[in-house]
Amino acid sequence: MDLLKSLFVSASGLKAQNGRMRIIAENIANADSTGRTPEEDPYRRKIPTFKSHFEKEIGAEVVELGRVSEDKSPFETRYEPGHPAADENGYIRTPNVSTLIETVDMREAQRSYEANLNVIEATRRMVQRTIDILRA
Amino acid sequence: MALTDLPVFQAIKSKMQWHQVRQGVLAENVANADTPAYRAKELEDYSFSDHIGRQSFGLETKVTKTGHITGMLSAQSAGKVEEKDMFEVTPSGNNVVLEEQMMKVTANQMDFQAATSIYTKSLGIIRTALGRSA
Repeated sequence: MDLLKSLFVSASGLKAQNGRMRIIAENIANADSTGRTPEEDPYRRKIPTFKSHFEKEIGAEVVELGRVSEDKSPFETRYEPGHPAADENGYIRTPNVSTLIETVDMREAQRSYEANLNVIEATRRMVQRTIDILRA
Repeated sequence: MALTDLPVFQAIKSKMQWHQVRQGVLAENVANADTPAYRAKELEDYSFSDHIGRQSFGLETKVTKTGHITGMLSAQSAGKVEEKDMFEVTPSGNNVVLEEQMMKVTANQMDFQAATSIYTKSLGIIRTALGRSA
């Protein structure tokens, strides 16, 4: 049935945003993960990607989480001579995560999630209306 | 002649089908709102003259004589889907505007509701004609 197909497509959207949320959470949680030695790299920010994929079974384009790639931008540095990961000049490298950017991304994921929920709600109501024909 | 062969039921049925397919297309748009290079899709506008008397959105061969064999390319859900130019394209090449899609979803839902209401009312008329004791 066609309306159930719409539900399936929206569900794929929910799932993709869910995965994106997980990666954002990972980034924020590791915003302070430095290495333990000067050589060890700190945490590198991860970027979720989306790709649409034609699902033959339902004949519609659903969305799915693509490869999770790493942010290639350089690490930040901070002066902290006492830190075990500090180099000879007293600087430590910190992750290239900006909590501000992550927060904005999180909001965006939240909004997209809500949009998909709205579509599900609307579709559900349409199904309900169809069933109501029986009752009248 | 079956009850649902009445022109009014046929017309409403095809309109409901159109709304169903459109809901699917809109759901695709919203789900892919963050996919790079995705172009928003929209179903071609519904017109009664195109669809009245039609069972589905498939292609049918015309019959000029009785006895001709009819053929039908059945397409279960395929109304004509076209890509639309929306009014905002992000740097990733995605042109889905969530607000716009939300409005369309709501409008679609309301129109569907109107169609089902008319369907129910038409059934009521027939029921009255059949003399249902109230």
